[in-house]
Amino acid sequence: MIPFEALLPYGVIIIMFGVAGTGMSAAKLLREGGNKPRVHRDAWDKMMMERDMRLTKEYRKQSDEPIAPEEFKTSSVWRASRIWDD
Amino acid sequence: MTTSKTNPREPHSLPYYITDPTPLPSHIPSVPEIGATSAPLLSASYFIGARCAPFNEDFMLCRSQSRSGEIDCLKEGRRVTRCAISVLDDINKNCQAEFRKHWGCLENENHDLSRCRLDEAPLNACVAKFLNLTKVIPNSDGTPINDYETPSFFKNKVKAKYEQ
Repeated sequence: MIPFEALLPYGVIIIMFGVAGTGMSAAKLLREGGNKPRVHRDAWDKMMMERDMRLTKEYRKQSDEPIAPEEFKTSSVWRASRIWDD
Repeated sequence: MTTSKTNPREPHSLPYYITDPTPLPSHIPSVPEIGATSAPLLSASYFIGARCAPFNEDFMLCRSQSRSGEIDCLKEGRRVTRCAISVLDDINKNCQAEFRKHWGCLENENHDLSRCRLDEAPLNACVAKFLNLTKVIPNSDGTPINDYETPSFFKNKVKAKYEQ
């Protein structure tokens, strides 16, 4: 019979892995508002998520109202890059 | 966009962001914008397509034929927006619980429709009952999709609630 003191290190390792995994998962859920993180985001998803941010002002918060608030009409942002011609 | 020998990277310089707070001129009739974000819009997309197909195709045809793109097709765009708003309005009035469940599931599953079939079946049934809109896959043989072969333990529940 193995003395329980010999199994304590295994317990420590398992608990540490568990804490790390739980902490990572909890951090991700906290960031994403209770949802799983979005993966494989392509240009379409990025565009839609930027539009969502303009509509709801919060990361990954969704709204299903038919009509947008009035300031949404003029809240678009275009990205341009500088051209130096000298 | 993967860069390779045959696809060299475009030069990036530091971006700067352009905003334009001036509203549209008053001679253009103003329509409200759609307030649905990505997950509810994806959830309702097939029903919007079912009701608004003529307006959408009109708009796409105009866009493809016009020279400047946006300016020539404002009228068709207004029709598209109004129709989509009407669909979302009706879904919110009649089937809001199922709608919220479905897009909540989609938001959790990376907007993958194939992972949310269990929540999609009641939504399809409810919308077919109250709005007479059926989901149809474009470019297929056109069979309406009301029921994605719900498992038998679930089928009677859905049937009892929506298909009396």
